[in-house]
Amino acid sequence: MATKRLPEDLRNRPKKVLPIIAVLYLLTMFLQAQIDPRARELRSGEQGLESTSGGLGGEFLLLPLLGFREAAAGLLWVRCDEFFHSGDYDAILPLVRLITWLDPHADNVYITGAWHLAYNFTDSNERSDRRYIIPAQELLREGIRNNPRIPDINFEYGWQNYDKTKDYETAASAFNAAINTPVWKGSDDFPYGAPLKAHHILAHTRAKQGRIPDAIAEWERALKRSSDQLARDPRNFTFISLNAAEKNNIREIYQRYYDRYTTSNHDASINPTKYPFVIAPPPGSTEPKPWDVSLHVKFETVRSKVFKVSGKMNIADGARVDIRLTNWDYDQREAKRRDIVSKEVLEKFRVEDDLTILMDTASVRKNKFEKELDMSKDPRMYSFAGDSYKAQFTFNIRATSPHIQDRHGYSGEGLTDVKENIVLDSRPELLATKMIEGQDGNGPVWDGKTVPWQVDGKGVYGQPVRLVRVTYKLNLKQLLGQQPITAKDIVPNDVP
Amino acid sequence: MIPLAIANQTVREAMRRRVMWIFLISGLFLIAMGPVFGFLSPKDSQTVLRSLGLAAILLAGLFITIVTCIYLIPVEIERRTIYTVLSKPVQRYQFVLGKFLGGFATVFINIAAMGVVFLILIWTQEHKIPSDMAMGVVMTFFQMLLLAALSIFFSTFATPVVNFFLSFGVFMVGNLSSVIDSLTTNPNALVSSAGKIVHYLLPNFGNFNIQNSIIHPTVEIKNPQVFMMQNIVYAVVYSLVLLTLAVLIFDRREV
Repeated sequence: MATKRLPEDLRNRPKKVLPIIAVLYLLTMFLQAQIDPRARELRSGEQGLESTSGGLGGEFLLLPLLGFREAAAGLLWVRCDEFFHSGDYDAILPLVRLITWLDPHADNVYITGAWHLAYNFTDSNERSDRRYIIPAQELLREGIRNNPRIPDINFEYGWQNYDKTKDYETAASAFNAAINTPVWKGSDDFPYGAPLKAHHILAHTRAKQGRIPDAIAEWERALKRSSDQLARDPRNFTFISLNAAEKNNIREIYQRYYDRYTTSNHDASINPTKYPFVIAPPPGSTEPKPWDVSLHVKFETVRSKVFKVSGKMNIADGARVDIRLTNWDYDQREAKRRDIVSKEVLEKFRVEDDLTILMDTASVRKNKFEKELDMSKDPRMYSFAGDSYKAQFTFNIRATSPHIQDRHGYSGEGLTDVKENIVLDSRPELLATKMIEGQDGNGPVWDGKTVPWQVDGKGVYGQPVRLVRVTYKLNLKQLLGQQPITAKDIVPNDVP
Repeated sequence: MIPLAIANQTVREAMRRRVMWIFLISGLFLIAMGPVFGFLSPKDSQTVLRSLGLAAILLAGLFITIVTCIYLIPVEIERRTIYTVLSKPVQRYQFVLGKFLGGFATVFINIAAMGVVFLILIWTQEHKIPSDMAMGVVMTFFQMLLLAALSIFFSTFATPVVNFFLSFGVFMVGNLSSVIDSLTTNPNALVSSAGKIVHYLLPNFGNFNIQNSIIHPTVEIKNPQVFMMQNIVYAVVYSLVLLTLAVLIFDRREV
């Protein structure tokens, strides 16, 4: 045996050295135990390779195996960019999922992926597939959870709710969250936590909610911020223009308040009467009262799955009637789906194939509107799998343009409908600041000065929104053109 | 002094090997590819530039380390040049240490070269060199220190081909620390015990993957300096264990 020929010092070496090795080994174990909590912190939000490797091609698999998840994610994002340019939108979704699993801090991928889901899946008439909104918003929420220090994902979440779903309360919460994101020195917007645009869009959101004192408070916050920046850099054109825009918006919001709701300080080009414009006497009358919009809607099937919407509405040009055709139980199923976000939604952005939803608008011109809806060309989007459907036509004053709100108010205080199509939506999140007495609202009327208008630190909201709505209940045969649609199919509006 | 003399000779010899230059040039080429992705949004292109650069340094560093270290001792035995060395008043542990230092110095030179090019590239693109980028290169350097010690350890009893697969395999397993760490909390006692053994026994190369916080500045951990220091100490101590074991084995090897 070789060992027998070894000198004595070599023979004895293991006896001396092995205990030292054992101690050192124990030290590495101790160090590993110390390293683990911080390593876990560093990897929070990452999905295990057992999930992500399933969809990765060989050229991308090596990098995550070697610990370079971000490099693999970056290269996959380059592939995504190619798919965007070539219009291969279906190929993008799995890549977005993989990238955010590999690199949960790729904020731009969350934002772009959610935008892609919510806006880019459309029918042949460029109407987006609303079924993708739940996965889009769930993706953004996941992004927010994984990146609490990045305001941009909250901003996008707010924007989707503002622009796409008109859920202004959720939008306002998200914009607020973006603004209140803790600041960090590495940010381009240091010493502020969020870009200035977040303040502006939050102010617009508050105005859309009819919470005018809150909107003014936001504009003033933005004004203070841009004034601070201007004081530091007086020749910066961005700050100069932002500052001017904010001052103008504060001035304008007050002027619109005077014209719509008071008898003083009127701008004759907007409100030529001596009354608050929302209750100004209609032509031929001297009695102040809300304006009768008399919404009339006719819904017909031109041929199978092709429809014509026409109608009348006594309102200024530019008003839009929202059209919504869905399965009768669409809202209940969507609510359930929103509450229990399934693995399919979260992992594959899968939508329910048997749900049909179409949303569009018809523009009012000279008190009339008309629109053709062709749902026959997109069977993947409009499956018509159910038996019962709801066609709803709504004028929502909150989402309309300011020149129409001048006449009818932020919450429709100045409109009515003799055909009894008014729906009073009193859900707490939709309540606005009460601006005028006697138009459905509860609680105190804003004094036109106090900003913010609060009691015990909370806003005072008592004005429900008056929606003008017509609802049809239809069966599949009617939508396929096998049975006529008549006025008898109009059903009472459900109260939200 | 003897280990340093052996190390010096080892570096010279290693630097003459063409395969190492191929890996170095490939790494530099990959790093230089970073700005090509400038067509992405500024934030995305910055992410790709940083992540690709660090990945290139790691990839090239990995192959340079393995290819350099697996041959250091076997080649000396195969060519019988080891007799000339050991016939002089050179202890075996000095020989192993010298070979390790030489191999690691070669790796250091290569990583440093790639690191400098990478940082210059970052500077040309971002007009600043973030300190955490340099830290990323340093962590790769210590990751390779551990790998070099592992390869030297294996080379005392395995052939270069076996050593290549052993070193590469252990590196891969060690890199899956997030997966293995999650196994330690598995409800199945057998799985969790196996996970713990692998997690604490094998060298944990995943510890050094700090790209997450480097590439995304918003990702922060408490006391990052302590975390880095712990990892560096871990690499040094673990390497010491491996080298001591290597010496013990080499002492008993017939050459």
